[in-house]
Amino acid sequence: MSLKKKLNRLKPHLTGGQKPFPAESAASPLPVIPEEIPYSDIWEQESVKPYFFDGNYCLVREVTYPLMHKHGKYRFADAAEAVARWNEAGTSHPLSAAGHKPGDLFFFDTETTGLGGGAGNTIFLLGHARLTADRVVLTQHILPQPGAEVALYQSFLASVDYTTLVTYNGKAFDWPQVKTRHTLVRDHVPKLPAFGHFDLFHGARRLWKHKIDRMKLSAVEKEILGFERKDDIPGYLAPMIYFDFLERKNPEGLLGVIKHNELDILSLITLYAHLSFQLLGEDRARTSKEAFEVGRWFSYLGEREKAKELFQDIAEAKDSESIAAKHALAYEFKRVKDWKKAVPLWESSATAGEPIKRVEACIELAKYHEHHSKDYGTAAHYCEKAISLLNSMENGKKNGRVTADLDKRINRIMSKQVKREHISDGMIANQEVKSHVD
Amino acid sequence: MKFRKNLKEIMDSLKLDESVRDNIVHWHTIEEKEARTSALPEGIHPALIDALNKRGIGELYTHQKSAFETAARGQSMVAVTPTASGKTLCYNLPVIQEIINDPNSRALYMFPTKALAQDQKSEINELIQESGLNINSYTYDGDTPANIRQKVRKAGHIVITNPDMLHSAILPHHTKWVSLFENLKFVVIDELHIYRGVFGSHVANVIRRLKRICRYYGSDPIFICTSATIANPLELAENLTETKMNLIDNNGAPSGRKHFLFYNPPIVNKPLNIRRSATLETRMLAGMFLKNKIQTIVFARSRVRVEILLTYLQELVKHKLGPKAIRGYRGGYLPTERREIEKGLRSGEIYGVVSTNALELGVDIGQLQVCIMNGYPGTIASAWQQAGRAGRRHGEAVVVMVASSSPLDQYMIQHPDYFFNRSPETARINPDNLIILIDHLKCASYELPFKKGEHFGTAEVEEILEYLTEERILHQNGDKWYWMNDAFPAHNISLRSASQENVVIIDQSDIANVRVIGEMDTFSAMTLLHDEAIYLHQGIQFQVEKLDWEEKKAFVREVAVDYFTDANLAVQLNVLEMDKHRNLGSAEIGYGDVSVRAMATIFKKIKFESHENIGSGPIHLPEEELHTSSVWISFDKGRSGMGDERLEQGLIGAAQSLKHIVPLFVMCDPQDVHVVPQVKASHNERPTIFFYDRYPGGIGLSEKIYQGIEHILDETKRMVENCQCTSGCPSCIGTDTASESAKADVIKIINYFLKNAAS
Repeated sequence: MSLKKKLNRLKPHLTGGQKPFPAESAASPLPVIPEEIPYSDIWEQESVKPYFFDGNYCLVREVTYPLMHKHGKYRFADAAEAVARWNEAGTSHPLSAAGHKPGDLFFFDTETTGLGGGAGNTIFLLGHARLTADRVVLTQHILPQPGAEVALYQSFLASVDYTTLVTYNGKAFDWPQVKTRHTLVRDHVPKLPAFGHFDLFHGARRLWKHKIDRMKLSAVEKEILGFERKDDIPGYLAPMIYFDFLERKNPEGLLGVIKHNELDILSLITLYAHLSFQLLGEDRARTSKEAFEVGRWFSYLGEREKAKELFQDIAEAKDSESIAAKHALAYEFKRVKDWKKAVPLWESSATAGEPIKRVEACIELAKYHEHHSKDYGTAAHYCEKAISLLNSMENGKKNGRVTADLDKRINRIMSKQVKREHISDGMIANQEVKSHVD
Repeated sequence: MKFRKNLKEIMDSLKLDESVRDNIVHWHTIEEKEARTSALPEGIHPALIDALNKRGIGELYTHQKSAFETAARGQSMVAVTPTASGKTLCYNLPVIQEIINDPNSRALYMFPTKALAQDQKSEINELIQESGLNINSYTYDGDTPANIRQKVRKAGHIVITNPDMLHSAILPHHTKWVSLFENLKFVVIDELHIYRGVFGSHVANVIRRLKRICRYYGSDPIFICTSATIANPLELAENLTETKMNLIDNNGAPSGRKHFLFYNPPIVNKPLNIRRSATLETRMLAGMFLKNKIQTIVFARSRVRVEILLTYLQELVKHKLGPKAIRGYRGGYLPTERREIEKGLRSGEIYGVVSTNALELGVDIGQLQVCIMNGYPGTIASAWQQAGRAGRRHGEAVVVMVASSSPLDQYMIQHPDYFFNRSPETARINPDNLIILIDHLKCASYELPFKKGEHFGTAEVEEILEYLTEERILHQNGDKWYWMNDAFPAHNISLRSASQENVVIIDQSDIANVRVIGEMDTFSAMTLLHDEAIYLHQGIQFQVEKLDWEEKKAFVREVAVDYFTDANLAVQLNVLEMDKHRNLGSAEIGYGDVSVRAMATIFKKIKFESHENIGSGPIHLPEEELHTSSVWISFDKGRSGMGDERLEQGLIGAAQSLKHIVPLFVMCDPQDVHVVPQVKASHNERPTIFFYDRYPGGIGLSEKIYQGIEHILDETKRMVENCQCTSGCPSCIGTDTASESAKADVIKIINYFLKNAAS
């Protein structure tokens, strides 16, 4: 029996083999390198040129923008300015460009044929941009067919000279995938250089997770950077469009993906400028919520003074964030055992603000009064207050362990109290005996 | 006064007590075996000698030494090793020796389950620790924390994993494992005999992918396999790995004295030849041992049977032992539950365990004294594996096989010589099953592009690659095929189950605490999880309130009823294409592709103890379709000289008896081959019996039946003829026929096939 017939019969049992339409007969396979690059006229119009290497080729697109070009609420020149400010401020931070020139940054993004990582997920577009003295130069390396990866990576690696990558989720996705695909051609192309890496995704999450649910770059552009795309091709369609391009060779659809990638990279430049100004406190439009999140970030990084300074400013501002800032500030003081400063702050965050923070503040005050001031009555009072706060919370049940811990704490405080009374009773008794002797 | 009897005393009472003695139709004693050892091989590293000495090993068993020497010659091997024969040294010694000599060397261990991998990791780590060497061995499975995965990939000398993990997590990410694949010296495949049938065919393809990636990175590992006793370990190992193998079967390990008892329940209805239920007899026998706190394992053939026996036994010893002293063990329990049971058995907290063949594997549960099989496990190899659970190296042990009324059981119990002398079954795989092959070609293409002229193991694949290109899964460019799809193919392909989707079982007895208690493949779910079915889990009865077939969820609630349910499956068959065919006289034997359409129709409620039918109901589930390979035998209706009714009854009876004999000749689970009679087959309008493979595309079982059909018919006829009943009974032709002439008709029909086949 013919294999074809058998294959068709077994189709329903094959995983992922079911297609709603009957497969057309495959076009005869194209030679590895066509005599002429298909649709070269269209490519040329789009400033795309072939790059030949080792009997194969990839496509390279280069466009430039003046530094004064405005993308969202910043000009590209602002990113250079941000680098200068980092250098002046000397603040230590994972996104700090101190010690770098603007040209050292390498804004980078890829387009791939699949979603997750894995050896078979092909990168078909490597795009990057950098700042020069007067322009932004954006370069995209495009894979014209799957056999041309040696040329693609050769082209990419020959044009890169950078110290720090700037990406959006590139630590988890883009760069590991570049490593994976590079491993497959590693005998034919230069090594991947070592580099620093600013992943702006994490910064965006820290600052804006309160207002953006899914921290997609397009959402950040719209909500934060003041940039809105028109007729953008959503990223999830990129694989389908690329497969279609492979079959038909007409770049029409792919040009949309190339544009999408270009905008992603340009937004990275704006996002870096904006994040930097936020962190450096140079953005007058920074909301106190943002300032508070910046403070938390510095606190997480162990930048105590910087964090304290920020929290203090917000705490004094008397707006919606001031209670949260006081609460956070109290922890900074606790860390250096400055109870005198910490306690009043908790006292105010125990009476206002988010319920869960109030509970935390009560617990901290209970701890303080149990272990430091030895004022057991007040300690017990704060435990009870915390418990009643928990009970009044909607999802208070979830905090069963916290409640149980609090119960334990109350019991312990009580027994300490009782013990103290015994001892003091005894002392009084002793004194009495003594006075008799006298 | 002594309250408890020991094993010896119970054995004596078995011999004396009339009600039991008469049912023991065969008492076979296997004498203890002395160890055969040999001095440690020359060239073995001093640190390794030191480590062995510390563990009290001054010499090696003969098979361990042969394994070491074979590896030293750079050759692959399969070692046949019974339970507790020290098989791990067969691979651990050569592997550690190699790593001492070249610390860059890497080894990959593959165990069929995560539990076995965990066991082995502790064992090899003890050896490594005692040698004081700096060798890293890690398990790599779904439980490995993300933060140590990187370390395993880069620095693990020995990576211990399972085929599923290799398939879906290691091979598709091979670029992260460069140091493993560049330096891979050994691939260890433990429990080789498990890799048969569909699972084995999948794993053979995973190994093709593994070897392809090794070739890409320039390594060519030696394969070391270990297997329980089967008829063809060498052939299986060579088919699975497509590598030339040496057979090592000079087992030198000692073993204790073992009593193997064949127990046939007494006849309770002479004319119908009905015996007392094997399950009830198993309960009685297991009770004798358990009441005396002798650790006992009971094997049952199905999940349902496990649960029924568990209920019985827990009830029986409720007051003597705690409620958790007897446990069930089978697929469908969650891993944590299983680990807890294994631990309890080792520590002795658990006295009894009722298990499916899930515990045949080398999971470490310590040494039990008694093994009772509720029914013949279906294959000789499996019976020996289960028997191996009782009594490991020293001391006496008892194994009791309790026969059910099924023809195969009765055949076995009446032919003990057959059991003790016949070589065990042959394990068969078919890596070129189209469905399996295509699945793995997708994965392989994802891993590395295919080049024109490249083979996949021994399979020619160009035509399939072209097909996948047409399906827009691959893209051909020049002389290479590239993966061009946004999917991650390994995620959609399960190595273990025919259907890719499982039905999740959800317990909603406590509305506030709805929880998942297990899962089941869709095909089994049709007959076990339909609406109103009684599903048993750890001896607790649940009734299925709703089976959501679309969402593949079964919602169950705890109940207490005195019955279990049993469902019928109606089957329709169409021959699609005939590949082989022998025309003998007016009878015909064909082999080819068929379409099977199965539909669950009705279920019966069957009362515990009496096993009487106390009700029934319809099942409303969609039809499932299966395309597979099949063999069929047909003859001319006119020449049978029987009326329609008798013919139908005779065919049903013949199919019933054939069904029990077939698994004997084609080492497979009884469920792997189905036998279906048709009075008028749709393709030739003649009375026909079909045998077909349960897995889409077939796994070579039908083809084997086609080759040996005469032999199978012959043995079946002998079994029916030798049965003591007069007109047919459950032990030969089944209970679906009631006519006086049924038995004679079955023999007549088989004769009719036989005569034609022989002429």
